[in-house]
Parts: sequence; C-alpha cells; structure tokens
Amino acid sequence: MGVSVNEAVSTDPVRDHPPPARRRGGRGRSALEVALLTVLAIVMLFPVLWMIETSIKENRDVYAIPAKFFNFQFTMDHFKDVFVGAGGGRSALSVSFLNSVVVAGVSTVLATVLGVPAAWAYSRFAVKAKKDQLFFILSTRFMPPVVVVIPIFLMYRQVGLIDTELGLILIYAAFNLPFTIWMMKGFVDEVPAEYEDAAMLDGYTRLQAFRRFTLPLLVPGIAATAVFALIFSWNEFVFAIFLTSSDDVRTAPPAIAGLIGGTTVDWGLVAASSVVFALPVLVFAYLVRKHLVAGVTLGAVRR
Amino acid sequence: MASATPPAQGRSPRLSDRGLAVAFISPALLLLLAMSVFPLLWALYLSFTDYSATRGGPARWVGFGNYTAILASAQVHQRALTTLLYVVGAVGLQTVLGFSIAYLISRRTRGRGLLTTVFLVPMMLSPVVVGLFWRFMLDAQFGVVNSMLGSLGIGPVEWLTRQRTALVSLIVVDTWQWTPFIMLIALAGLTAVPKYLYEAASIDRASEWFRFRTITLPLVWPLLLIAVLFRAIEAFRLFDLVYILTNGGPGVSTETLSFHVYKVAFLGFNTGTASAYGILMVLVVIVLTQLYLRYLNKLKED
Amino acid sequence: MRHPKRKGRPFLPGRKVRLATAAMLLAATTLAACGDDGKDDGGKASAPKAPATIPELTKDPLTLSFIWFEWPPAQALEDFANAEYKKERPNVTVKVNTVPNANWHDAMFTQFAARKTDFDIAILDSQHIGEAVTNGNILDITDFVKGNIDVNAYNPYLLAAYGQFPQAETGKRDENASLYGLPLLGDTWTMIYRKDLIGDKPPQTWDEMISVADKCQKDNPGVSGLAFHQANGSDAAAVTYNTVNGVYGGNLWDSKTRKIDGVLNDAAGQEAMDVLVNKMKPLTATGSGNWFIDEVNAAVAQGKACIAFNWIAASGGLLDPKQSTLGTTREQILGKLGFATLPSQKTNLVPLGGMGMHVSAYSAAANQAEALNFMKWFEQADIQKKWAAAGGVPSRTDAIESPEFLNAGPFNKVYADSVSRMRDMWNVPEYARLVDIENTNVNAALNGAKSPKEALDDIAKEQQGVLDSSSRKGGDGL
Repeated sequence: MGVSVNEAVSTDPVRDHPPPARRRGGRGRSALEVALLTVLAIVMLFPVLWMIETSIKENRDVYAIPAKFFNFQFTMDHFKDVFVGAGGGRSALSVSFLNSVVVAGVSTVLATVLGVPAAWAYSRFAVKAKKDQLFFILSTRFMPPVVVVIPIFLMYRQVGLIDTELGLILIYAAFNLPFTIWMMKGFVDEVPAEYEDAAMLDGYTRLQAFRRFTLPLLVPGIAATAVFALIFSWNEFVFAIFLTSSDDVRTAPPAIAGLIGGTTVDWGLVAASSVVFALPVLVFAYLVRKHLVAGVTLGAVRR
Repeated sequence: MASATPPAQGRSPRLSDRGLAVAFISPALLLLLAMSVFPLLWALYLSFTDYSATRGGPARWVGFGNYTAILASAQVHQRALTTLLYVVGAVGLQTVLGFSIAYLISRRTRGRGLLTTVFLVPMMLSPVVVGLFWRFMLDAQFGVVNSMLGSLGIGPVEWLTRQRTALVSLIVVDTWQWTPFIMLIALAGLTAVPKYLYEAASIDRASEWFRFRTITLPLVWPLLLIAVLFRAIEAFRLFDLVYILTNGGPGVSTETLSFHVYKVAFLGFNTGTASAYGILMVLVVIVLTQLYLRYLNKLKED
Repeated sequence: MRHPKRKGRPFLPGRKVRLATAAMLLAATTLAACGDDGKDDGGKASAPKAPATIPELTKDPLTLSFIWFEWPPAQALEDFANAEYKKERPNVTVKVNTVPNANWHDAMFTQFAARKTDFDIAILDSQHIGEAVTNGNILDITDFVKGNIDVNAYNPYLLAAYGQFPQAETGKRDENASLYGLPLLGDTWTMIYRKDLIGDKPPQTWDEMISVADKCQKDNPGVSGLAFHQANGSDAAAVTYNTVNGVYGGNLWDSKTRKIDGVLNDAAGQEAMDVLVNKMKPLTATGSGNWFIDEVNAAVAQGKACIAFNWIAASGGLLDPKQSTLGTTREQILGKLGFATLPSQKTNLVPLGGMGMHVSAYSAAANQAEALNFMKWFEQADIQKKWAAAGGVPSRTDAIESPEFLNAGPFNKVYADSVSRMRDMWNVPEYARLVDIENTNVNAALNGAKSPKEALDDIAKEQQGVLDSSSRKGGDGL
C-alpha cells in the first residue's frame, strides 16, 4: 500500500521542477488547508451557535420551516423562564441549578481534600506496589455508570442516601478521586523533592515541609484539577437520574432533560437553559486550557 | 516563610514517612473501596442470585444461571452488535477526523490557539445538552439539518426514526462531541515531534507522505493509541446519548448494552440478572483498561 | 418548603470532612453488608392495611407530598389543593413533586424499593397497581373506602380501574376485591379534527376516519392526514396499538389463563396491526415515528394534522393562542378544531387513561392519616366539581355530568361520553416489562424495522415469556 502511494507521488510531474512548483503548489495547498479548517470549524461550532440563536428566538420562529437564520423575532423570554417559575417564584429549573452548584462544588472539595495528600504521598514515598495501586485507582474510573449504579442504589437505600445531595456528592467524589490523584501526582512530581529535604534539614517535620513549602507551589495545579472535577460533576447525568427524584435534590442535567416529554416542548426554553448550563463550563474550560490534555485524559497523559 | 523559626526538633511526636503515607493515602483508598470495589463485589454476589430490588423475598441462588442466560440470549447479542458497530463507527470516525484536524492545525503558525479553542467547545458540553440539541436539530419536520438539506433539494431524512439512520445519527453526534478529544491529544503529539527530524527529511527531499509515514506517524502513534483506547472504553459505556437522542429506537435498534442493562435493572427490577449483565460488561471494560494501561505504561517509560 | 426528612446534612469543614466521610462510609459498608436480605424477608409481600377510620390529624404544620410526572394537571392539582384543602386544613401544604414522564415509573418504584419515599401519595398509572401491591408498597384501603367513600357515586369500572387489584374485568368492579387507590384524574383519548378541513361532522367509523384523513392529506399539501403516539418510551406506541386492537375486536390477553400468545396475535390482532402500520402510518408526517403527547400537540397547534389522537388531560394547551398558529383567540382556534369521541369499528372501546391516588406504605403515620383525609375530602361531590372547574377530570358520575365539568373544556364532553367504553391494559406486577416489549415492537413496526406480523408475534411471544418466567432459573428480565 504505502509503496504504491509513494510511487504515485514520486512520478508526480511536480517533482521535475521542485523549487517553483513547490512554492506555488504550497501556497495553493495552504489556502486549501485554511479553507478546510474554516469549514470544519464552522461545522463544529454551528450547533452551539444554533443553540444560542434558538434561545433568543420567539417560539414561532423556532419551528419555522424553512429554518430562519437571520430575520427572526428577538426575545429574552426563554432566559426569564429559566429562572422565573410560571407562578412568578423561582422556577424548578433554577433550583436544580443551585443543587448542581452545591453537589459539584462539595464533591470537588471532597475529591481535592482526599486526592491531593494521596497524590503527594504517592509522589514522595516508596509505597508498596505503587504502580499497581495507581493503576487500580485509575481503573475504578472506567466502570460503566449504569452498572455501578445498581449496587450503589442498593447500598444507598440501606443507609438512606437515595434522593439526597450527600449521596450524589459521595459518588461524584469517588468518581473524581482517581482523576484528582493522577492529575495531582503529575503536578507534585514537578516540584523537586529537594525543597522538602532542605526544609527538613532546617528542622521542619515532613508534614510541615509539605504544608509550608510544597503546597503553595501546588496551588495552580490544584485549581486546574479542581476545575476539571467540577466540570465532570456538573455535567454528570446517569447517577443523577437514577439516584434522585425530587425537585429539591435534582441537579440540572436531569432537570433539563425533563423539559422534553411533557405535553408541550418548548425548544426555546431547552436552548436557553442549555446555554445557561454550558456557559460556566466553557468559561472554566477556557481558564484551564493549558492543562486540557492532562485534564481530559484523567491525568494520564501529560505534555 | 523566612521569618518562621524552625521548630525545635522532636517537640511533637513525628509521624514517620511510612505513617504519613498511610495516613494520606488510606482515606482516598477507603472511599474508592467503599464506593467502587464494594458495590462491585456486591453486584458479583447478586449476579449469582435471582434477587429483585423491589419484589423482596430472599434471594435464590441460581449459580451461573444468569450468566448462561445472558450469553445465550439473542436479545443481548443484538445489543452487543449494536454497541460494537457504534464503538467502531464512532471511534474510527473520530480518529480519522480528529487526527486530520490536528495535522492541519499543526501546520499553521498563526491562529493556532483560537482554532484549538473553537474546536474544543463540543467536548466540554454535557451529554444531556448535546443529546437534546441534536435531537432538535435532527428533527425530521422543523430540524435545521433537514431544512438545509431541503434547500439543496434533498428530501426530508428521518434521522432518528429509521433503523440505519438512527445509528448513524448516534455516531455522528458522538463524533461531533469527541473528535476534539482525539484532536487535542494528536495535536499534543504532533507539536512534540522535534523539528530537526523534518529538517533532515526535507534535505533528503523526502516526499510529504514519506515524511508523514516515517516520522510523524510513528512518533504520534503511541499517544494516539491511548486516545483511541480511552474513547473506546467511554463509547462502550455509552448510555446518556441513547437515552436522550433515540431512547433506543426505532424498536430496539439503537439500544446499547448499557441501555439494555438499565432496562433490565430498572424496568423489571431484575437485579440479579442486571448484576450479572453488568459484571460481564465490567469484564470487557477491565480488558480494555488493561490494554490502555499497558500502552500508557509503555509511553511513560519511553 | 423543604421536606424535613431531607433537610441539609451539615458539612463539617476541613479535616473533619475526611474523618466523617471515612466513618460514614465504613458504617455504610457494614450496614449494607449485613442488611442485605434482612428487611426483605417475608416471602410474598402484601400491602399493609390502612385504618378503617381516619386517625387523629396533627395540628402542626405538615407537608403532604405527591409524586406525578411533569404536565399541566400536576401544577393544577398543586394549585387547587393549596387553595381549597387549606380552607379545611390550614396547617397543611400540598406539594406535587414532578419527574419527567419517561422517568415516572422508575422514580416511584426506585423509591419504593428504597423503602423510603419523599411522597405520601403516589399517583400511579392504573397498570402500576399490581406491581405496587405485590411488593407491599402502598396501603390496602378497602376498609377505609367502606367507611368513608360513597362507592355508588362512581361508574364501577372507574373505581376498579384506579384502585382494585387483582384487576377487574373490563367494564366491571369486583366488590369482594381489595381496593388500593381512589381516582384522581380520569382520562381517555380524544379525536381532534380540523373542522375547517374535513367538515363539522367527525367520522364515525375507524375506516371512515382513515379515508377522510387520506382525502384531507391529498387536498391539503403540507398537512398530514393523521398524528398519533408512536414513540418507544413510556406507553406511547403500546396504547396506540391497544386502541386499534380494541376497536377491531382484538384482545390483549386472556387474564384468567394468563395467555397472551395466540390471543393478542389472533386474526383480529393481526388486522389491527395491519391497519395501524399499512393504513394509518402512511398518513402521518415524515419522521413522526418518535412522537408522543407533545409532538402530536405541536403538530395540531401548527396546523399540520387533519386528525390527531391525544390524551384529553394533555389537550388543554391546544386552545392557548400563544402556542397555536390556528388563531389568535380561543374562539378562533375552536372554530377550526373539533373534539370527538373515538370512531368505532367492530367495537367502540377506547383506552382508559388517568391515574389514581395511592398512599405510600413508607410515609410517616401522621402523613398517612393526612393522605387518607385528603382523599376523603377530594372525593366529595362539591370538591370534585370544583376540581373539574379547575381543569381536572373527575371520576364521580355526578361531577362528570355537572355543568362545571362539561363547560370547562370542549373535550370534557368527549370524556363523559367515553366513560362506559373504556378498556385498560394488563394490571400485573410485570406491567413495566410487558409495556416495554409492546412499545419497542410496535415502534419497530411503525418505523419499518420489523414487519407488522413479525412485530406482533414477537410481542406475544416475549410477553408470554415474561408472564411464564417464574419457573426459570436465572436470566429473568432479558
């Protein structure tokens, strides 16, 4: 295969006059590549733009056939509906957003508080079967949620954690912990152990050396890691839909999913709540863009 | 920091390094044991019984009855095939597209940051938002996709309600969301290829394709493989997108294994069967994860 | 107001979180490990009995919680109860928790399975009763009904459909059977037709309806002849097939011998499937194969369907000018939309919809007492009429025939005329699986993934397998 392609390329007449042809061809190719990239970028972005546009359209225009791209009636009503209920009070949707903030926030704190010290310990100390432990930890993150939720459900019902925010917080913390440990271990590895050794020569205990010298250097890494954990918890749907059922506990993803399947579907409202829901994620993702590769591979790949 | 006077030695009983390691690691491991390992062991036990979460009554031991029934079930085979088609289709498409985009971006010198950011947006969205919005866009009646096709003279396509198109739609939506993932990692690999290798090659007047094949691909391949395996594991577990986009339809033609487990577990509350089903899925995931970790380990050692 | 039981577990700051979590998880692990079968014992569970008379009610503030799915009647119920029930019980607040329709059964039964419910009154679909009773999830209110409810005020079948188990024969009530619920909201399908397109007089037979729809579709480009439920979730496609099956003289099963295979797919059943897939489906819009309540409503409101079928309780939005392109006032819309009882063919059966109220076996004693009191209050004649005026569909015969009800909406007359024609599905513990099998297969047939005959035979075979599965050793529920 490879050979034949090579031969085809080498018999290309362009090769006969390398310098001018390559420059001209290069420029043409470059333009083609830019055009291709632009088209791909538009395709990737279009659904998001369409979502934003739908969120500010009058419902009549939302269902217009053919679709209206520009001359639509502008309205902010959908965004109002996201936060204000039919009766004028707080909407159920806005309550679910608050629940999401609490659940994602607290579970992230918990995963961070448990994960950072563990990552430090794995980085600094000779732990027995360290590699096995770390791989075991990561592998727990790959369990299918639909499968895990069955025994978790049985476990939670014994201890009364079904339909509670605490229940969601614990399972999210457990799902984010492997990520936190792997990601943070990378950051700790980058801080030379000599800092702590030097501090200990000055009479600090190991713990104090960690707290006073290493920890401050880890703050940016902790922030980035926490942001990823926050995004994972914020977006999570499977555990949320099976472990919660009441308005007071439900987080935003099942609440938004619940907007369809009633007697009427208000796609404008779906779009507006999706925008409100996605906006913080995009902002946060932008803040940690430097660490994206490590973040999305659960800390496994670092470049 | 400087003003702090070092404390007197031995004022407080020091934790040994070993003790410290245990104290720092055990809470995390404990949480994982309680929330991941213990539930799976419990599911393992239930998988040998006919226990039902709602019917009550003592669980009857059925040995490998659940396992043999699942492995022999034509229903399960159908879901396995659907899942396989989906995983191969989606991950394959993402890999080709993601790598191509990364390659194109890596050849640009300007606007790289902006381009990367733009391409990454879909990946950050919740599957719920992605599923809902594509369902709206793929609506046969007023969806924007059919509207655009219509202006090109292509008749309305039933994206979500025909056997073939529904699975294709799932693959397309997943590809839209996760192509950026492959792209991001491929890009990380591509930018790490040392420049001097290319320079040496261009002196030799090696063809572009030859350079790509002999320099770029071998260097990026290990990293790309990790990305592909990672996606394959995630795709194998797929549930939420199916739940929202097609609900498994038409008929059961887009029901994945995960979706089927959900129905067994929460529609009929056949907890024992669902547990066995889940354990079998976990076995597949463990094999894939082992592969993933092995390549990861190799990458780290290089 | 938040439910007291769930009220915030405090979060200890800093280091204590770790300790607390570790301790709690240890406790959870141990408890869960030993508590596995302990509580579930007792062989065939049965529903606990509610007291015959209402126990003394609390004077303290109390929240009476319901669970239902997200749709307008849920909001109507909460508003109505808080306005009217408060007059009698000022210390009680009514809260109707709602979940997405697709998640309704799972949300209720996972809580039942957890033996802890955040609701006191479950609003079960009529076919859920069997599962709830067999698992002991709801109270047996037979004695309570004897002492507190005027059973003669109801059409016997309505009372039976929303409360009796084992299931009553269609059209009857078995007075010796136990009751587990009382009617909350009656419902059935209405035919919605475009008076401006097909004329004022609705088609009388199913065949006529199909030919009228066919003609209307041909005469009006862009408007499809029919719109009905086809989705594979909830009970959407299943109810559609069951309706046609009933109209063409078929049977869903033989309840005495628990036989489905050979009954459902007999000649009448085959004809019904053939009519549905080969005569009705071609008259629907492209891509309507995943339509349920909301999509059918949208098609009607946007003037895209000549004849549509939908649940009456979900039809209120059709008259809202804000959501409709058919007119700018309710009167204008009513000038174009007609509502009629379903056409008949070999029989005049219509699907029974709606739901009853059932008291959770796991709610606190004070809440159970309040729930019983609420039900007694709700089933009074004048309250039923007020509920009808507030947008509800009552079940008492006097309320159904009252002007309050008949004047509240154009489709209410349809309901009143349909009461004697209703037929329900199977009310057995295996309902959720039966309906899923039917839904997915009918949906497959409607969307060309299976032939009509293949789909119907698969339904019959698989459903029969579910009913007979108790003898198997492992693999239940596949």
